[in-house]
Amino acid sequence: MGGLFRNKTLLTLIILIAIGMTIGAAHNRQLSKGGHFALQDTVRSVLAPVDVVSHTVFSVGNVTLRVFRPRSAILRENARLRREVRRLTRENARLHEVAAEEVRLRTALNLAKSWTLDMIPAEVISRNESSWFDTATINRGRQAGVVKGSAVINYSGILVGQVVDANPFTAQIVALTDSNSSVGATIQRSRSSGVLQGQGSDYLVLAYLPKDADVKAKDLVVSSGMGHVVPKGLLIGRVVRVVRNSIAGTTSALVRPSTGFDSVEQVFAIKPGQNQGS
Amino acid sequence: MKRYFGAIIGLIIAAGVQGNLPSSMALLGAKPDLILVVLIAYSLAEDPEFGATIGFIAGLINGCVVGLNLGSFIVTRTMTGFFAGMVSTRLFGDNPIVPMFSAMWLTLACEGLFLLANPMPDFGFVVRTLAGKCIYNGIFTLIVYAFVKHLNTHRKIRMANARL
Repeated sequence: MGGLFRNKTLLTLIILIAIGMTIGAAHNRQLSKGGHFALQDTVRSVLAPVDVVSHTVFSVGNVTLRVFRPRSAILRENARLRREVRRLTRENARLHEVAAEEVRLRTALNLAKSWTLDMIPAEVISRNESSWFDTATINRGRQAGVVKGSAVINYSGILVGQVVDANPFTAQIVALTDSNSSVGATIQRSRSSGVLQGQGSDYLVLAYLPKDADVKAKDLVVSSGMGHVVPKGLLIGRVVRVVRNSIAGTTSALVRPSTGFDSVEQVFAIKPGQNQGS
Repeated sequence: MKRYFGAIIGLIIAAGVQGNLPSSMALLGAKPDLILVVLIAYSLAEDPEFGATIGFIAGLINGCVVGLNLGSFIVTRTMTGFFAGMVSTRLFGDNPIVPMFSAMWLTLACEGLFLLANPMPDFGFVVRTLAGKCIYNGIFTLIVYAFVKHLNTHRKIRMANARL
């Protein structure tokens, strides 16, 4: 034992590992309490300007590459965009009709205007810093009102994840697809509710459904609002497969998210404890 | 102290770039782990004590950036830096293949340790990602190691000149 502690290199390793484990334990304790870890805040504050510079450089590089694309690629994209415009024009007209009808119905029911949620706009400045976690960093933190547990939606209103930690100027979000993520969800058509769990891959599993749940492929999945953390009714994805285990008496569904976490750029953070129309 | 400063700056830049790597770059679903690459490259060029210290800082940065499992990041990166430093004192020559393969097995060991503490449900995803990451880290370490070695040689020449 004495020889071990005479070896300075080994002693350094042991001390560093012990400090690391202590920091890790303190961090976990703070996370479970919902508090803020000062060391993490400091490191993140140092890294935030580097993240912003790196994000700007990569964005400029990306734009530059797009400018110098060959003409044939631009023509192809132009044709695709024209088709998209035609489709969206038709859809827009239809949605105007639906919106007008909704206003009429809401007025009739004397309900509050929809989407009265308190939302904080933010931009993703870095993502997937580790291969094992679907996480990203947004450029708004505690000072802008982002808090731990806030639901994060993209500009189309699709739920993409939740804030796992908020620092003064930035916040980390964890994607629904991450294996650490779970959120209450409902099949929109039948109102069967369960818990949507990330698997670390491109799909989600809607578990704990009633064994005779009315669920089938292509059903829309929305947030259930259970627990009052994530608002009710946010679009998540579509069912691709239903698994019924008659022996265990359980039903679960494989869900494909409506948007890929990799493509998310502009987002809104919604403070916990709100619901649409509340 | 100067050598620590250079490595820390390298780690901070790697952390900034890591989060902005395009998804089109993914090989078998994995992108290079630049923080690990910088850690291994610097540790290979130095000694185990340096490796462990820089590994600790790399783990701290990586854990803070991800926001989860801070302790696992620190412990696995500290051990990786230590073993990378040992490679330099026990195995090595200037053969470029050595840092590349060292980076591959060190990545495998580091992530293996990490996954022991934080198991993933999808085994296929783990194997695929590990394979892609090892290949990428091996190639990138070769480049960063050559750069670090070049800097070290210049530093030693400057110090020798100063003594003269």
